[in-house]
Amino acid sequence: MAKVLMKGNEAIGEAAIRAGCKNYFAYPITPQSEVAEYLSKRLPEEGGVFLQGESEVAVGYMIFGAAGAGERVMTTSSSPGISLMSEALSYIAAAQCPAVFVNIMRGGPGLGGILPSQGDYFQATKGGGHGDYHLLVLAPDGVQEAVEMTMQAFTLAEKYRNPVMIMGDGLIGQMMEPVEFPDGLKTEPTNKDDWATNGMAHRNSKKRNLVKSLFLDPTALNDNNLALKAKYAQMKKEEVQYELVNADTDYQVLITSYGTMSRVCRTAIDMLKEEGIEVAMLRPKTLFPFPEKAVFDASGKESCQAVISIEMSMGQMVEDVERCVKGRRPVEFYGECGGDIPSPEKIIEIIKALL
Amino acid sequence: MTINFTDIVIVAGNYGSGKTETAVNLAAACRRTGKSVAIADLDLVNPYFRTREARIPLEAMGIQVVLPDRQYLFADLPILAPAVADILRQPADVTILDAGGDDVGVTVLASLAAVLKNKPVRMLQVINAFRPFTGDVAGCLKIRKEIEASGKINITGLISNANLMDDTSVAHIYQGYDLVKQVSAHTGLPVEFITATPEIRSQLDLNRITCPVLTLDRHLLPPWKPTGAPPPSHLKLKT
Repeated sequence: MAKVLMKGNEAIGEAAIRAGCKNYFAYPITPQSEVAEYLSKRLPEEGGVFLQGESEVAVGYMIFGAAGAGERVMTTSSSPGISLMSEALSYIAAAQCPAVFVNIMRGGPGLGGILPSQGDYFQATKGGGHGDYHLLVLAPDGVQEAVEMTMQAFTLAEKYRNPVMIMGDGLIGQMMEPVEFPDGLKTEPTNKDDWATNGMAHRNSKKRNLVKSLFLDPTALNDNNLALKAKYAQMKKEEVQYELVNADTDYQVLITSYGTMSRVCRTAIDMLKEEGIEVAMLRPKTLFPFPEKAVFDASGKESCQAVISIEMSMGQMVEDVERCVKGRRPVEFYGECGGDIPSPEKIIEIIKALL
Repeated sequence: MTINFTDIVIVAGNYGSGKTETAVNLAAACRRTGKSVAIADLDLVNPYFRTREARIPLEAMGIQVVLPDRQYLFADLPILAPAVADILRQPADVTILDAGGDDVGVTVLASLAAVLKNKPVRMLQVINAFRPFTGDVAGCLKIRKEIEASGKINITGLISNANLMDDTSVAHIYQGYDLVKQVSAHTGLPVEFITATPEIRSQLDLNRITCPVLTLDRHLLPPWKPTGAPPPSHLKLKT
């Protein structure tokens, strides 16, 4: 298919359709409402269902219901809306249902502002809802990657029977870029007869399925948590994705950054190179599982004097970076999170101060 | 062939068709011919990438820019500055209204109907052939109908803003132009102009195009494009 010019939010919607998602439930919130607008037009054309819930709390459980019934299902929201869905996320993870959640982050905490932010890193990677669960979290740095990750998200959600989150800041949703929808990422929904409440009439099995997150027997609850833990261990082994930029040089500083912020850093790295200063970047594409070994290895390069995590937050991913550097290099941080995105010139100034 | 607009020009079109870039560059082009120019941001729909981001270079050219009050600049609220009605009552030589996208974006025009009544108004539909929903004639006509119904004002002309941003080629410009000519044939509406960046424009066979070409400098850039560069030469006011 030829390239089209799309807004990130529209492209995420179209990617879900291309991935075979027929169910999309959401509640509008800036800066992601275009996903709902787009899918309200497009899904009916594809025989799918768009439903606006009465709140994000309701939407969270609509997703749980559809996922438990074995349907490919997605919702999109922005930070405060994801907070409202967090209870359902915990239930969905506990009941081991596949679903795709998209968070087009805005500034917080509280009602915050409508401009881009990366303040929900902790929420996405460390919990948000209660209990011992993890989401598999993908962080695109542009519209094309948002398309590809959205398409992959449905496959990953079904592989692990676990909710997958796409984390984009507001700019990923609002900016326009030319995109293609790779046919190679289309997959058929997996057979869920073994566990989903997809209707006895539709499957060749007499087995009755129960989708639940309540385990009153302590052994059963512990076993369920061990089963979840085993899945997260498998994700850490099989699903880590990251990109290294300018890492084949004798770089003096290693940047860790993701999403929109990493694109600004990329420009700064190119500009610094022209001045003869080599700086590398490690860009996690999966925030959970985090590229632990890659951060350890990249920070250990002999020429590397310092690591700096640059984020549109007040310092969140930097805690994972510190954990992975294991004290071998000083780990610094720079962040802004009011909605203004630091310029390449600002990043250059910050880097030079480290040298 | 040059664009010779006067009075009120409303730039409308489907969501993401490039209305704001078109309106901002049109304002600059009109100003360069020595006319007084005002531009108002009527986009109550789009949360990012609005006319307000081009305010500084426009004001430097002597263009009057009407925006919501500063305290509301980053609100996702439907705020229409009272100054918009004022500039329509006492228009500049060219007064450009940058409307929001789709039918919902032009709803605000209906509220200005009383002020716009009996005034000479050009209502232009921007079409980018490479956007969803406007890749064919039927899609463009559907958007036209929705905009007219919602804005309570008829479209009087067409603009082709064919582009895939940095991936745009000359062939894309021709393809978009041809689509808009087909829309023109169906509707009888004139193609007022097409747009092209300076690099693309220099490669165009202008004999193939029977309308003016507006040179388009991009103002609404993502933050990773280095800043600090001098403003595009196109925007410098030649006195």
